[in-house]
Amino acid sequence: MLIYLHLCFEFFRIGLFSFGGGYATLPFLYHIADTYHWYTPQQLSDMIAVSSITPGPVGVNVATFAGFSTAGILGALIATTSVILPSYVLVIIISKLLEKFKSNKKVQAAIYGLKPAGCGLLSAVALNIFSDNVKSLFGVGLFLILLIMSFQQKRDPLFYLGISAVVGLVAGYFHMV
Amino acid sequence: MEKTFWNIYKTFFKVGTLLLGGGYVILPLLQSELVEKKNWVNHDELCEYYALGQSVPGIIAANMSIFVGYKLLRQKGAFAAATGIITPAFLAIVLIAKILQELIKYQFIKSIFWGVGVGVVILVILAVKEMWKKSIVDKFSFAIFISAFILSAFLKVSPAIIIIASAIAGIIYKLRLDKQKGDNQC
Repeated sequence: MLIYLHLCFEFFRIGLFSFGGGYATLPFLYHIADTYHWYTPQQLSDMIAVSSITPGPVGVNVATFAGFSTAGILGALIATTSVILPSYVLVIIISKLLEKFKSNKKVQAAIYGLKPAGCGLLSAVALNIFSDNVKSLFGVGLFLILLIMSFQQKRDPLFYLGISAVVGLVAGYFHMV
Repeated sequence: MEKTFWNIYKTFFKVGTLLLGGGYVILPLLQSELVEKKNWVNHDELCEYYALGQSVPGIIAANMSIFVGYKLLRQKGAFAAATGIITPAFLAIVLIAKILQELIKYQFIKSIFWGVGVGVVILVILAVKEMWKKSIVDKFSFAIFISAFILSAFLKVSPAIIIIASAIAGIIYKLRLDKQKGDNQC
């Protein structure tokens, strides 16, 4: 019972404090892995990979997954609902006072301060995922090629996932990974 | 199509199913479903919800869906949109989580995961790039970015504390700037 309450509290907190979309929830999930050991950072990296290739917003997928790993299907349900709940309440309040919200100076100043912080947090996640997922010279090579491709032009996220999945498959076949 | 609870739920369920690889692609999907096919909202409104969705904490795709749902059918619409966008994600993960342990025994699945793991790093870097464009606008915001990165990556400070502290820093900094401007005018 206690684990469900704890899950609810942690995921509500994620929903309330993550700014910048689904990937912005990741620093909180890594922090949970370090603090409570409900799952390992390596498991979390796998969950993120799975979440990226399954339907739905990545943030919802990964919350469902982390909840499921911690406490089964009820855990998944609680984590997903709790992560959405703050957004739900805030969006409805904001919809009601839309004009005031947009022009409020303090709200604007707070957003001005926390957006770069969200960006900094996500950069720390990038470093984390990189060290979890890119461990071989071959991996670094694939990473660099994809990175250069991303600089050339804007592409669909599925493009990168598709290429890396195929490269993984082929490399696995020739026992290179 | 009439704006009923069930129709809104179905529409967002469909968008949720088509949404792959990060919430940023929700804008074109909603554009095609809600503006072009159903004419429920116009393009300008959608862009405004997209911007607003990013200034509210949480998952952007969900925020945006709740905004649109509320606009379509108030409380009922918000609930229909939120549950609609979540359901496919929830079902997909619960199904996969159950069989993942079995799947991962196969070498070719492991190889695919190895590759996707590398691809995901790129997606996170691209998300950082998008956020950077919208958030690092001057020296102060750059200083917050660096501090947040160091506190999180190396000192493992709780993200919630970093977010609250930076919001307070933003308010203090902006209010002082305004005050200085006021003083100069006198």
